[in-house]
Amino acid sequence: MATKRKINSKIDSISYQNQDNKNDEEREVIILTLPMNAAYISAARLTSSSIANRLGFGIEEVEDIKTAVSEACTFVIDKFSQLTQKPFVLKFEPDKDNLSVFLEVEGMVDFERFKNETGILMMKALMTEVRVTSTLSKFKMILRKEHSEFSV
Amino acid sequence: MYWALFIYLSVFFVFIYFYLRDKEAYDLKFSIKTNFDEENNNWQVRITGEVDLFNSGDMKTELLSLLKQKEADIFIDCSDLEYIDSTALGALVAVLKNAKEHEHDIYLKKVRPNIEKLFRITNLNGAFKIEGDVHGD
Repeated sequence: MATKRKINSKIDSISYQNQDNKNDEEREVIILTLPMNAAYISAARLTSSSIANRLGFGIEEVEDIKTAVSEACTFVIDKFSQLTQKPFVLKFEPDKDNLSVFLEVEGMVDFERFKNETGILMMKALMTEVRVTSTLSKFKMILRKEHSEFSV
Repeated sequence: MYWALFIYLSVFFVFIYFYLRDKEAYDLKFSIKTNFDEENNNWQVRITGEVDLFNSGDMKTELLSLLKQKEADIFIDCSDLEYIDSTALGALVAVLKNAKEHEHDIYLKKVRPNIEKLFRITNLNGAFKIEGDVHGD
């Protein structure tokens, strides 16, 4: 079982090395558009854990990614549902040694006010990097998790 | 004639029993079952499935209603609790605050490792009484 996983992760790492040479249009990206409704957070959890598992992340890392993505969706639905009913976009971008999850929503909130909320702190504890960019029209959250085999 | 009827009915009820039992076992959606243990004077609660923003309010209302009915310690069996998010943790803290006002506690039994980790990183593992993991260790 362990050997099989090792082989799989080796194959995956080769395929992602090859993917590095691809330009942005050829890169494998998974895009999920979800309605501004808490009932679909479980769909985001299922999708993220499935993708993380596919990329050869360990059980604990898959759980971390799942929890962080779920918390990001919770944050967006909690803070933006009064501002807009437009759907938000989750974009999964696998790379050679990490997985980046982009969450984009239309609208603006003052993130500084919420940066010490439990959900945000949980995301920061579980992921390698959490970045937030906010403009007048678009709020963007970037979660990145490095593969433990490659992390220093 | 009556014997035949009796056998038909027995088979029917056995079928219904197994159907309901399996339905419950495979129902991954959120459910909460509560029962007051008269002998030990505490609430026995079993939470199943995933608790997130969608249903954490239901969980909070249910647990607070228990304390309103009878003030006692709450024992939550988490062996079938698969996922809990920050809003559900917040709901549990609100219930704990209510319980502590009457000098009672919330005990979490058979917590899965992924959920135990969330209590640890949010520093809530000290606030709740967490007893053993899902394997009974």
